[in-house]
Amino acid sequence: MAENKFANLDFSLSLFDAMQKDNLSYIYRGIFNQQITDSILALTETNLQNEEQSSKMKKRVYAIMVEGLQNVTRHQNEKKIIDNDNLGLFVIKRTEERYYITTGNSTEKTSIPIISKLIKKINSLDKDELKVYYKQVLNEGKLSNKGGAGLGLIDMARKSGNKLSYRFIDIDDINTYFYLHTIPSLTNDENEFNKIAKESLDNIVEIHNTLNIEDIRLIYNGMLNQESLMGLLHTIEGHMSDIPDMKNKMFYIVLEMLQNIVKHGNNPTNHEGGNPGIFFISQKNGEYLLNTGNYISIDKVDDLKEKLKCVNKLSDTELQDYYASSLMDFKINDDKKTGLGIIDLRIKSTNKLSYYFKPINKKYQFFALQIKL
Amino acid sequence: MDILKIVKTSDTPNVTLDSNNNIFEFSYRSLPENAIDFYNPILDWIEEYSKNPNPETIVNFKLEYFNTASAKQIAKVLLQLFEISKNAKVKINWHYDKNDSDMLASGQRYSKLINLDFEFIEE
Repeated sequence: MAENKFANLDFSLSLFDAMQKDNLSYIYRGIFNQQITDSILALTETNLQNEEQSSKMKKRVYAIMVEGLQNVTRHQNEKKIIDNDNLGLFVIKRTEERYYITTGNSTEKTSIPIISKLIKKINSLDKDELKVYYKQVLNEGKLSNKGGAGLGLIDMARKSGNKLSYRFIDIDDINTYFYLHTIPSLTNDENEFNKIAKESLDNIVEIHNTLNIEDIRLIYNGMLNQESLMGLLHTIEGHMSDIPDMKNKMFYIVLEMLQNIVKHGNNPTNHEGGNPGIFFISQKNGEYLLNTGNYISIDKVDDLKEKLKCVNKLSDTELQDYYASSLMDFKINDDKKTGLGIIDLRIKSTNKLSYYFKPINKKYQFFALQIKL
Repeated sequence: MDILKIVKTSDTPNVTLDSNNNIFEFSYRSLPENAIDFYNPILDWIEEYSKNPNPETIVNFKLEYFNTASAKQIAKVLLQLFEISKNAKVKINWHYDKNDSDMLASGQRYSKLINLDFEFIEE
């Protein structure tokens, strides 16, 4: 059991449950800029590459993402004040069966009838009619004063090959939060689609609520490999660009946390491309909480526990000595066994490490690590 | 001696080891999963260079980030340079971003552990 209080442990474990069900989920809640958009696209592309999916499907997912990210960025830029309630949202989720792509942004309630009318119109059209409608809107050019938000929606509907799902949730008297939910290329009958769309959107609204309460900014649940961790680091740099001193520290810590999973994690699934893991960042009272979770094989658990207990006990001077002696120990020439990762995390965070082990089966445990900054 | 020039990737640094022009530099980032593989040719080059080093060798470390796997390999590089310093002049210029106290601390740690002339340069 952890010596330190593990904040959001319930949330971490519920994410872990989700991790066992979904192949991938990525959630970003925050300010959207070019670097963040690029990194989200790159990260998802990496994951898409490793999947057995038709390239047509991958292209569609990608196109919907691009359009959705542009929509969120556009709406964000219209706002004067960005606070906790109206941060933009991007979610991609992948199960065995399908992809779900969701974007969210706040907007004034006065735009509800306009957006609803537009989506209802789009949803009433078949494939060919959509094509005609797209051209018509393109020619008219001035459906909306937001530089083509209408076109974006039509395009998303065309790419998805399905109806668009949406929802408005009131924020206050003036503002509402708009969710746009796309499930590309589902060939099932309409009744089943409606049910799936409703349930999955319910789920996202619920998660979003938790994200707002806990002020969680980013969640990644999927395969971790060198490429995907580089993508996550890129997102963090974009997210933290306003706070340069924190940015460096966070970069180092996330790098070591994720590389630990790549090197020492295990993969009990039959999916290839790294080790499954979760990573999320939350903010509380000006502090950042960095969290990872991954599978670890039983035979490594005792050593890891011992190491964690040890670094949490040591004083600053002792930690420096421990780091130095491991650094200069060249007996074992193996990148996986430098023995530095955990010590480095403890030194750089300047806080004790919180952790949690949960038995899964005879071979694996789930290991959650939390670092406060 | 041949010049060793490695061009950066998203997770490995620019490396220039050029004894003819007396330029020795590591820049950008060093975050590879397999740090040993990446640093082996560098260690081999320095090993060869140590047989007939220039009278003065100034090595510039201008790294933005490095991971712990690289930390160990950088320690090896510095130990090789220490060997050279027994017969020739060697100086380490350790550059760090003014917002990055961890990078300064890493350099200071090396300077305590390895007896080389270090200069710390804030960028």
